[in-house]
This record gives sequence, C-alpha cells and structure tokens, in this order.
Amino acid sequence: MEENIQIDQALANIQKLVDNIETVIRGKRTQIQFVITALLAKGHILMEDNPGTGKTVMAKTLAKSIADSTGSSGVNFKRIQFTPDLLPMDLIGSHIFDDVKKEFVFKKGPLFCNVLLADEINRASPKVQSALLECMAEHQITMGETTYPLEKLFFTIATQNPVEMEGTYPLPAAQLDRFFIKIYFGYVDELTELDIYKDYLGIQNNQDHMKQVLSMKEILFLQEETEKVFIHEEIITAVRNIVRDTRNHPDIVLGASIRSGIIFLKCLKAFALVNGRTFVTEDDLRGITTAVLDHRLIYRNREAKQKALTTILGKELDRLSKLKITINRTSFAPPAGNI
Amino acid sequence: MKIGRTHSAKKMLAQLMLLAVPTSLMVFYLLWDLNRFYVILENNWISQGTYFTIGLFLSTIFYSYRFRFITSATIIFISCYALYKAAGTFAFGEFDAFYFSVQLLIFGFLFSAGWLAGFGFSRTRFFTVIWSVMLLFIQIVVVSKTADIKVNVIINAFLPVLAYTFYIIYMSEMLRNMNEDEPNFIFFLSKRLGGFTIIMLLLLLFIFTLFKNDFQAVEREWGGSSAMNGKGNEKSENMNKKDGKGNVSNKDQTKLTGSLSKDKQLVFVAKLDNYFDDNVTPNPLYFTAFYYTKFDTLTQTFERDSMMPRNDLFLPDPSKIPLYFTVADSSAIKNSLATKNRKVVTADIYKAALSPDAYLAPSTGFSCQPVTVPKEVKDQYKSAYRAKMWVSDLNSAYFIYNPAGNQQLEAFQQLRFEKLREIQKITGPDKNFMSYYTFMPKDEEYKKIASLAKEVTADASAPIDKILAIRDYFLSKDEFGQPLFKYSDNPGIPGIPSANKLTYFLLENRKGYCAYYAGATLFMLRSLGIPSRIAAGYLTVDRSSKNPGWYWFYADQAHAWVQVYFPGYGWMDFDTTVPDVNTQQSPQPDGTPPMTVPQTYIVADGNIISIDTIKKQINMEVKKMIYHDKDYETASAKDLNIDVSLATITADTGEVRLSSLKKGMHITAVSYSEELKNILADKSDSLASIIKKLPIPTPVDEVKVLLIEGLKINKKQEEQKANEPIDWEKTIIRALLILLILLILLFLIPSIIWQYMNARAKGKSDLKAYHCYRASLYYLNQLGYERGDMGPLEYANMIDARFKSSFNSFSNAYQKAKYSNLPLSDSEKEILNESYQSFIKKVRTQIPLKTRISKFLNVYNTIHYFTQPKIS
Repeated sequence: MEENIQIDQALANIQKLVDNIETVIRGKRTQIQFVITALLAKGHILMEDNPGTGKTVMAKTLAKSIADSTGSSGVNFKRIQFTPDLLPMDLIGSHIFDDVKKEFVFKKGPLFCNVLLADEINRASPKVQSALLECMAEHQITMGETTYPLEKLFFTIATQNPVEMEGTYPLPAAQLDRFFIKIYFGYVDELTELDIYKDYLGIQNNQDHMKQVLSMKEILFLQEETEKVFIHEEIITAVRNIVRDTRNHPDIVLGASIRSGIIFLKCLKAFALVNGRTFVTEDDLRGITTAVLDHRLIYRNREAKQKALTTILGKELDRLSKLKITINRTSFAPPAGNI
Repeated sequence: MKIGRTHSAKKMLAQLMLLAVPTSLMVFYLLWDLNRFYVILENNWISQGTYFTIGLFLSTIFYSYRFRFITSATIIFISCYALYKAAGTFAFGEFDAFYFSVQLLIFGFLFSAGWLAGFGFSRTRFFTVIWSVMLLFIQIVVVSKTADIKVNVIINAFLPVLAYTFYIIYMSEMLRNMNEDEPNFIFFLSKRLGGFTIIMLLLLLFIFTLFKNDFQAVEREWGGSSAMNGKGNEKSENMNKKDGKGNVSNKDQTKLTGSLSKDKQLVFVAKLDNYFDDNVTPNPLYFTAFYYTKFDTLTQTFERDSMMPRNDLFLPDPSKIPLYFTVADSSAIKNSLATKNRKVVTADIYKAALSPDAYLAPSTGFSCQPVTVPKEVKDQYKSAYRAKMWVSDLNSAYFIYNPAGNQQLEAFQQLRFEKLREIQKITGPDKNFMSYYTFMPKDEEYKKIASLAKEVTADASAPIDKILAIRDYFLSKDEFGQPLFKYSDNPGIPGIPSANKLTYFLLENRKGYCAYYAGATLFMLRSLGIPSRIAAGYLTVDRSSKNPGWYWFYADQAHAWVQVYFPGYGWMDFDTTVPDVNTQQSPQPDGTPPMTVPQTYIVADGNIISIDTIKKQINMEVKKMIYHDKDYETASAKDLNIDVSLATITADTGEVRLSSLKKGMHITAVSYSEELKNILADKSDSLASIIKKLPIPTPVDEVKVLLIEGLKINKKQEEQKANEPIDWEKTIIRALLILLILLILLFLIPSIIWQYMNARAKGKSDLKAYHCYRASLYYLNQLGYERGDMGPLEYANMIDARFKSSFNSFSNAYQKAKYSNLPLSDSEKEILNESYQSFIKKVRTQIPLKTRISKFLNVYNTIHYFTQPKIS
C-alpha cells in the first residue's frame, strides 16, 4: 500500500512537472509529455524543427524543474552547441597535465551532467555524433583504458534543424536509433502565439525563477516504476505486429529493429505513466507509435512517409478495438511480481 | 535486382485458387458455348481455353511482383502481334499461312485477354465489375444469335455467368479486404466462402421455385411448338395436328394458309349402319368433329364458337367414359332442329392414330359408348366407341357429286332435291339464329363475294337451287374447256399480304383446298341469306364393296365443308370442293374390318381396392354395372373379386401390364365368359344381389383403365395452367417486387445489425461492457462519426465535444477493464454497466429523426465499420 501511495504521489508529481514546464513552454503539452516519456523510459529525445520554436528553452526548463540532490537548485544542466568543427574531446573531456601532481588528470567534458542539451546535433561531423553513441546507450565514457560512468540520471535532449537546411550532416541510422523518441516541435497555434507575445516578460520571469517540482530521487523512482507498468499481452502482440508490419510494408525500405520494439515497449510504459495510468492502453499506442518509430524507418518516398505508419497503426488499433475483454483480466487478480 | 512483391505468396495463391481457377472454368464454358456458334473457332475450345488460362495464371503470378503494367503488357502484346505477323512469312503453303495466322490470332487474342484479366484481378479493384459486364454482354450477343430461344438456352447462357459475376465480385473484394497476415487467414477465407455459397444457393433456389411456373410457361411459349413439330415455321400446315403422343386430331383445318400437306396415315375405321331405302346400298356420311360458325376478319380465320345459337355439337371425351357405359345428350337432338325424315343410326369407330379423347360422328351425334377393341387387332386400334346419331334420310356423302351413272344414287339425289326445293324461303327458329348464321363482314372484299354470289345464283329461286348453282359454278369450265376451279394443296399466297385470301381465291387464283371452297361457299350462301356454317371432320369415301358399311379414314381425308340449315330438316351437309384429280386416281387399299365384339355378360366399373399380382386377381369396389345388358347402379359400392389371369388390360395408350395398376385406379372390367351366361338376373335383383350370385373370383376378359378422378382433376388443372398464356405483367411485377424486397432488405441491414447489437448490449453477460462499447461505436459510426484511426480517448473526447456526453469516462473505464491488471472501482463498474443506455439516448435526442433515418439507410457506413483496414 505504501508503494501505491508513493506511485500516486509520483503520478501527481509528473502532472506538476508538466504544468510547471508549461508555464514557460506554452501550448506544447504533447511535446512536454513526450520529453518526460523519454526521460522516464531512460532514453533520450531528439527534437527537430526550425530554429526559434522553443527547443532549447524546453531542455533548460526541464533541467531547472528537477531539483538536484541538495534540493537547492536544478539538476546539472549542460548545453553544447554543435558546430562543424566540434571535436569529440570537446564533449567528453580530455587529459590535461596537472602541474602540481605532475600527472595527466582527466578533465570531464560537458557530458558529465544530468541533462544535456545537444543543440543542432546535425551540424557536427559524424565523428562527433558517434562520440555520443556510447554515452547515450551505456551511460558511460571510455577514455583510453579508463571507463568513467555517467551520472545516474543522464538525459540527452538533442535538437536538429530540418535535414534540408544547409550545413547539416544527417544523423546515421545507428545514432537515430539511440533516440527513443523524435518529435517535431512545430509552431503553436495563433491564439497561443498571441498569448506568448503578450506575456513574454512573464515567461521570462518564470524561466528565471523556475520552481523545482520534482527531486532527482523522485525521477529515479519513477524511472524504476516505469518498468513495472502493466502491459497487456495483446498490447505486446500489437507492438510485435506493428514492428513486423514496418518490415513487410511495401513502401518501407528499412523496417524497425527488434531493439526498436523493446524501446517501443519502454516508451509505452512511460507514456502510460505520463498520462497518469499504471497500465498501457490503446491510447498510448495511438499516441506514441509515430514518435517512437517514425525516425527509425526509411521510406520509399515522401508520400509513404505520411501514410505508411498511420495505416499500420490503424490496422492494429482496429484489431485491438474488436477484441473482447479477456475474462481472466476482468477478475482483477494482480499478477504476482508486478507492483 | 530484387523485385518487391505486391502481394504475399499466400495472397497470390488465394488469388490463383479463388479467382483465376473459377475464371478459367468460366472461360472454358464460354468458349465451348461460342464454339457452337462461330466457325472461326473450329471447335477447339479446350486448347483455346488453355491459352486463356495460361495467360491468366502467368499474369496473376507476374503481377504479384511489382512489375509495371504498361511496359510489361506492351512487350507481351507486341510479341504476340509480331508472332502473328511473322507466321505469314514463315509458313510454306498459302493455306498453311492462313491457317497458322488464324490460329495465332486466336492464341494471341485469348492469351492477351487472359493476361489482362490476370492483371485486373491482381491489381485493379473494379476490374471484376467490368469483366463480368463484358461476359454478360458476350452472352447477350450469343443468345441474340440463337435461332430457337428456349428457356434452357437462356438459363444455360445466363445462369452460370450471373452466378460467376456474383462470386467473382464478392470474392475479389473479400480477398482485397482480407488481411493475409492474419494467422487464421485460411479459416476466415473458408468461413466467408462457405457463408457466401450458402446464401447464393438459397437465393437461387428461392428465385427458381418462385419463378418455376414462369420458366415453364416461357419454355412452352417459346420452345413448345417448334420442339414438337420439329418443323418450326415452315410454310406448310398439317390438316391433322399431331399432339405430343403422335395421335391425330383435326383441331384446326380451316386456317387459310399458303399450302397444305397431307399424309396417308390411317386415322380411324368406322362401321356406319346407314343404308339407303333398299337396306343394301350403304349411304356414307361425312364425319364431323366440330363446327366453325364465326369468321374473324382480323386474323382471316374461322373460329369455333361454343356460344353458337342452338348448339347441337355433342362433345364427349370417350377416354373418360368407362367401358360399355353410355354418355348421351338428348339436347343435341333437340338443338339440331330436325324433325322430318330422321332416324337414329349407329356407328362403331375404331381409332388408329386418332387421339383417344376425340369424338367423331356424322351429325347429329348424341351418344357415345366406349367398347373394347377385339384382341386380334389390338395392336392396330387403340380404342373404340359406338356412337349414335340423329341422321337425316336426305343426308349423304353423295350430296353433290355426279353419281357417275349410278341410277340409284341419281334417283336419290333427285328425290332429295325435290324435297328440299319445297322450301322456298329459309326461316330460322328465331331472329338471333338467323342473324348469327348469316353474318357477313362488312368489308369491301365481302361485297365482291356477295355480288359474285348474286350473279351466279341469278336464275335460281329456291335455296337448294342456289346451292346447286354455286356448286355448278365451282364445277364450271372456262372458255377453253378447262375447269374453272382446281383443287390444290398449295394455292400460294396472294401477292399483297393483307389481301383477303378468299377474294383472291374466288376471283383470281381459283385454286385451293377444302377450306377455301368451304369458306367461299359459306360467304356466298350467307350473302344470299341462307344460314350456313362450316363443318370440320373427315370426308367419307366408299371405296370397296367388300365390306359394306365399313369406311377407312386416312389423314388426307381430313376435310372441311359447309352445312346449310333447312327448316324441319335441320343441318344438311354440302360439299362444294372440286374433286382432287390426284387423290381419286390413287385410292388407298382398305384393310380387313375388325371382328365384331362378342356378347358381354358383365361390365363392372369402379376403383381398385387391392391387386394380387401372383394370383392375378383384383379386388374392386363396384358402383356401376351392366349385367346382361341391363344397367345397375348403387350409392354404396360393393366389393367384387375378379380374376384377370386371362384378361387383356388396356389403357388409352395401349396395352398395359397388371403390375402397372395401382390401388385407387378407376377400371372397367368386362367379361364374355360363358360361365355367366346362365346366371340370370331377376327383375328384383339389385347390384348387390347380382354380385352375390357371381362366382368368386369372377372371370374377366377385359380390363380398361381410366384415369383416377383425382389425377384427372389435377391433370385438367395442369392442362389449363399449361395453356394459360404467361402473364408478363404479373411476372415483371413479381420480379420487381422481389428486387424491391431485396433492396429494402439491403437498406435495412444497418438497422437490423443495430437492433442486434443493441439487444446484446442491453442483455446481461460477462461481456456486457464489450457489447456496450461495440454497440456505441457502431451507432456512432452509422450516424457518421467514424472512429477512423483515432485512439479511443481521442474519439471519446470528440464525441463528448459533439454531444456533451460522458463517453470519455465510459471509454476510459472500458480501457481499464480491458488492459489493466487493477480492479475496477465501484464507480467505474457502474459506468460500464449503466451508462450505455443514457449515452445512446443522449446521442439520439441530439440528432433529428430525419437525419438518423437517412444515416441508418447508409449501408456503406456499415460496410466501412466491418472492413478490416489493410497496410497496403
């Protein structure tokens, strides 16, 4: 029961976090939810859109909203502006000679932080992009013979400009696969935009005096809780079907991998939590599939990009909606091992 | 290069099995059908069908890969064309070149057609519709080329194509909508296919039973006559119509057609007890079947009229009268209006080819008694009857022709002319009678006939003289000494189609057969105010002096002549047909007359109670009996056991076996046994007491089977039905009604489904929530609020925004029940169980009735609801 109270508290906290961020990032609730989903799923998020749509502010605000272990300020937030001449060392740090100790000591780069904003990631060369691979996937950095673990809470928010813009290096598929979720930020609607212009001072103020609504501990707890979210067998089947359909679809050249499937499941669980539930439903599937899978697929043409995944998802949702309630689920006996 | 697939191998296989195979079967059938009509195909349907099938299968397989149609098909078509062109240059002989190129043309055409069809099935959605319409069109063309349209031709042509059309459209649509990745794809497929087949069969059965009568009627109307005559619309017509069994009756011999064909078949033999005053010289009489009293000016034909005044036609059906029992009608005598110089004459008629139900007798017949045919001639004559008639002394087959020097006949003719000459003016029994029998059409044509009649009879005053003048006119010679009128079976058709045939005959052509002479005479007489009518039957020729009183009747003796009414003497026969030179030169040989029938002691009539085929005995219940020529009848039937071991059993169709008799059949048993000769009946004896006297079993020599009463009525009704013309209006209305019902049913489908779903949702079951959810979704979908690819919450929010309802909470609770491992709270349970009806009500109140009705007629929404989405 204690855990239940905790989880209810945590679920409430998530809503608080979302609300808090929304005081700065107006009209972007869905995007905020996706960001938190990626955070809870222990993944990373890639945001793509034109400059000036609030990507950076979003990352900053998130970092400020989470209290660090001391509880006095936000968690350790680092921002790297990716440029074509950026080198891997600029990210992970380097050995420098310590005059006093007469030895080389490792000077940690900006990767050693809790929330990392990798701004305009596709402006850097593939070499730098690859440097991110290990740390994002394995939460550690190997420098020479020594392996340095990253912070327990390590969350990367990467932004990129649309690939069509000049001076960009498209991210390799392997790199893209590391990002759990890719979202398009987009512009807000006209009313919200008006609202933002009217109240830009207030927003600035909010940004400067951000409240820390969640502690890092709570975030870590939620990350653990995410793993325990109940996921119905049929939803798992649906995930399997969707992933397999992307491989069989005639308009998709490269389908989703098995790793994508696992990430998909993680994200589903996290998304359920973000929506205040401890079980995954069709809505979660509907809400997150595109964000999770779209950037992993290579389409035959532009038209396919818009249609293929929607039809696959539509087919699966149709199947699910026609399923009967399985009787043993309605008996409400919580399966052992969960919660 | 790796070519991607359009369909999975499974789907391709399904297409091959379920679309291509039936299509090629259909095409095989079509080609087989076409081969019968088109010479160019050279009866080679198997290989032609194979060309098509090869094209179809190759193309179906080929296009299940992502090949481009235009390029690939162009290559195929061009190579086919090149092959066809090249054949001309490579073949050796000219004939070979032509032959091969034709073969290759057919091959190229069919192969290309198959290729196109394969592409259509594989890729194009609406191809099946176009394809079926094309097949139907081909069948329409083929049927329109068919000379003899019978119902089975139409059924054979359209039924398979129609069934195929339904099948192929349904099946291709189903394959298109099926999700082949479904693990139980094959199960679903066979389930749907089975369901479809059952519905199709039921529908066809339903339609067939409903239209069975119409089908049969159509067949009779279109196919019946030509099938039986086998001659179709030839320009000749038989005087004697043969019915289905080869029996002859002269139903309609006065139709004025172009030509007449006759044959030498023996129709019947008659013994006529009519002699001149010397009681030695036989006096033959014409045998009448019926009278034509009315002339239809529109169709130029004579009509029988059952409403004729003073109807003296006695028309029994001898096949339905029990053996030796008599049916008589004395009103015939009364209506014959004859009192002077009359006597009753008997005639025995033995039927050979004459239909068993025909009754022929010299006028005026009034009695009919079927008798047995002697054993020795049973194979020759099928049945016999004895007729009695009220015959005038003055009547004779020798009434017109010159008696060729026979003193006695000359004297007789003179005598009778004398007698008839006494009548100076003919007056009928009433006005109606006279105006009916002297009716003339008013046309210009008939005025010509009238003026001719006046001219011809200018010198005569008494009616009989006028008749003789007309006869003489027909027998007169022209200025070259040639007969003015000639007999011809083939008088030819007048040049102008609408010209009155009789005027043409009388004034121009002057050639014709009996009907022409009779018709012309009739109008000439009527124009002179002499009541007359046409009699149809057989002319009697006294050919032999070997058997006086016996006459043989052949098919070519079917005849038509005129009867004239003389007050007091009644209707007298007058034949004005000029002699046919050909027939008289080749008289037919007459056979031996049938032996006279032995004395009957007992004739018992009744139904069979039981039959013992081993002992050859029959137990029958007797209601009527003739014993030693005396009639007995009883209301309560008495049982009689008869011994049939020596008996001949006959029906109208000929001899039958004992085993073919059934319980309940109506039979007449006749005995000539000497055993019964001395068992005499007293005056006081009744039927029952006589039967008691009879030996058990009673020996019987003759058993005649009549139809059972019940069967008879049924058959009569059936006949009536058969003769009824098809009521096209009714048929069309019925077809439209069915169409309407089907249409209404189609439009009612959404409502029916909704009622079903609603009922399930309201019901109580473990799956109540599920049914509620599904029903709500269906209801909303039908009203036009499609879920599309929205998630449940998204959809519920949309619905709530529209209807201000709380579908949202229901949907959430439902999702929780479905996917969560948590127990539902009480409020959630309540929402799941209770909110359905109020929600539906809320939606209903917010949508006007008109909109709801129109939305619920939209079948498309329902189809959409049940269609499984596909990924490609």
